[in-house]
Amino acid sequence: MLNYVFQRLLGAAITLLLAAALVFGILLTIPGDPAQTLLGLDASPTALAQLRHQLGLDQPPPLRFVHWVTGALHGDLNQSIRYDAPVSRLLRERLSLSLPLIGLTLVISSLLALWLGSAAARAAQARSGRDTWITAGAVLLSALPSFWVGLMLMLAFAVRLHWLPSGGFPGWQEPGRAALALVLPVATLTLTRVAILARMVRSSLLDSLSQDYVRTARAKGVSERRVLYRHALRNALIPIVTVLGVQFAELLTATVIVEAVFSLPGFGTLILSGIEARDYPMVQGVVLVLSALVVLVNLIVDLSYGLLDPRISYG
Amino acid sequence: MISTPDFRLSLALTLALLGSAAYAQEQPTQGGRLTISTSAEPPMLDPTSSTSAEISSIMYDNVLQGLVKIAPSGKIEPSLATRYQVSADAKTYTFVLRQGVKFHDGSAFGPSDVIAALKRAMDPKSGHTHAEYYADMVSVSASGPNTVVIVLSRPNADFLFNLARADSVIMPEGKTDAMKSAPVGTGPFKFVSWQRGSAVTLERNPNYYVKTLPYLDGVTFRFISDPNAQLAALRSGDIDVIGSGLAPENALSLKQDSNFKVIVGSSTNKLTVSMNNARAPFNDIRVRKAVQYAIDKNALLQGVMLGNGTLLGTHRTPNESCYYDLSGQYKPNLQLSRSLLQQAGYTAQKPLKITLTLPSQYVYAVRTGQAVAAQLNRAGIQTEIKLVDFSTWLKQVFQGGDYDMSVIGHAEPNDIGIYANKNYYFHYDNQKFRDKFEKYQRTTNRSAACISMRALQKQLADDAVNVWVQELPYMAALKNRVGGWWNDHPLPSLNVTQTYLRK
Repeated sequence: MLNYVFQRLLGAAITLLLAAALVFGILLTIPGDPAQTLLGLDASPTALAQLRHQLGLDQPPPLRFVHWVTGALHGDLNQSIRYDAPVSRLLRERLSLSLPLIGLTLVISSLLALWLGSAAARAAQARSGRDTWITAGAVLLSALPSFWVGLMLMLAFAVRLHWLPSGGFPGWQEPGRAALALVLPVATLTLTRVAILARMVRSSLLDSLSQDYVRTARAKGVSERRVLYRHALRNALIPIVTVLGVQFAELLTATVIVEAVFSLPGFGTLILSGIEARDYPMVQGVVLVLSALVVLVNLIVDLSYGLLDPRISYG
Repeated sequence: MISTPDFRLSLALTLALLGSAAYAQEQPTQGGRLTISTSAEPPMLDPTSSTSAEISSIMYDNVLQGLVKIAPSGKIEPSLATRYQVSADAKTYTFVLRQGVKFHDGSAFGPSDVIAALKRAMDPKSGHTHAEYYADMVSVSASGPNTVVIVLSRPNADFLFNLARADSVIMPEGKTDAMKSAPVGTGPFKFVSWQRGSAVTLERNPNYYVKTLPYLDGVTFRFISDPNAQLAALRSGDIDVIGSGLAPENALSLKQDSNFKVIVGSSTNKLTVSMNNARAPFNDIRVRKAVQYAIDKNALLQGVMLGNGTLLGTHRTPNESCYYDLSGQYKPNLQLSRSLLQQAGYTAQKPLKITLTLPSQYVYAVRTGQAVAAQLNRAGIQTEIKLVDFSTWLKQVFQGGDYDMSVIGHAEPNDIGIYANKNYYFHYDNQKFRDKFEKYQRTTNRSAACISMRALQKQLADDAVNVWVQELPYMAALKNRVGGWWNDHPLPSLNVTQTYLRK
């Protein structure tokens, strides 16, 4: 198993380097001048030239890339051009918002999906109409765009009822207000994401409920609850966990929109402002860390298969 | 000038409110914190190191001050200098500095800070973004403990105005580098924090030299770019003021809500349909004039800005000194437009085809551009819209001059001098204009300078360099509790020095 983990980590390092090079190349092909973006319309040419020199933008691109990679290997992600602050510090600040946002969404939508999906599966087995309702509701929710759902929630709970803030983030030094600020964004992401997971749970459960061992368990007189959660669900979890891994990567992109709607200073808005300002070090830094996160989560998903199904081993 | 009933009504209401006894005699209340939304985040916080209007909006006079400042009326008033004197030959400026002033870091303000700041400003290699404002300076020196003398090589009509700009703020000597992210000034508010991507927070300066000011304990500027999110934040009570970027349609809905007050004030922002004068087809004045006659500015003002703002005819707003109203010079006339195009060699068989490059971040520019394209197409000029992000716009249009036509607002006050620079992105190259501009700059007699300034405006309109559509008005929405807000904006500044919250 250790051998397997080592191999995967090596692959991850190569993936990350390729991702960084790709992003660097793409950024070079889009026109833009970070110095002009920073200094504004009417800045004098001398001031512009000086800033370009100061930022090292007058060096050839390959050299800049090598500098950046060497820095990154030493744990130095360089200085953000847009914000005149270390990229690593900005990332830490932003991830302290975005990771809880994504984490909470994953946990809540998984629990909700398990409940809804198993209810639908049981209803389907009993040929009850509830299955149709749950499935139809799930399809409808997944069809709604997240920015619209976010605005509607904002309208209802912030503007009309005044229960929750309409956006912004006070920072974790005020834990109560910070948690409140996350309620609507998490709800938006959950509402638009839960459907896919719930349908996965339903079909996967239905699959295992028709297996022989379930019939045997039922014949032994095991309670229906225990049949569902102990026997069928455990075997249905592998495809569900796989989808969860994919969901994590998708949530990373979905938060970009939700953060913009709720004006949250997360990494989504960070990468957007980085691209707008042609802040090369910042965009590269964010992409590097996000790629690392995705690779890590996929590794965890792969390793969890072994825990869920002892027949799987990592030779 | 403004002919929309809507605007006249709001003007009348504003006047009525100003006139009513309650407002005239109202005593501002002390205390409270204000949260203001701005539509964009500044790239840094030092207005001497970047020309971005967002910096001046938050920092000017609130935190950072210069020797003189611009009042809401547009008048230049003393600030860190209590009085000043200009010599008869208009080459020597003597400033008497305010005494006992302390910077927010506790250090004392004195002549050496002024000298350091202005020496840096006049040095093109210092990183100051507008060194040309100070190019005529020969020396700046102290004369006695609280007097600073500036000597110019030749008179400059704009020099005092330039000293009142955000580019001329005085910071403690030798600390310029730290100013980009943690500015230290002498203003009524101290800088507290800049949460990147989220907000800038200011706090009352207890040692401010005007003892009764400011009224507020603190101010937070929150960056909310989405107009719907701004509206939700105001209505939910999360913010007290939509300080910038209020969409005209949201202003309309807020006007009907008695909890809020909508402000439509003047600004110096010139909404400009720019043309590349250096290359075909717009190097031909007949084509540029054909465009002037093809565009119905009033329809744009009514349709895009919902009637808010003032029509323009040259690169100056009524808010700036020596304004010349030329908005009627080219009345919409499709026939005339067609015949001008024909003279230039464009017919129905061989129509003029142009590209209109628009910066996608700016909603007003995109909306105006779409309407302009429709009007031009109607006039037989085949216009194709190309949307680009602002950085691309800066690189291709602004720096590269690789465009036919574009739309953007020019917010900087008193900036007609950009037309004297043939490398500026309009690429307007006219020696006559440059001579006139030089003459204006060297004229120190106020009324003679005004005559020159009017001649400059007329020259631009006659040459049909660009289409100046309208002044983009300053639009804001406030909770009724908020008092002392600037209605008119002679420069980009959300000045909260005298703002207060009614109990």
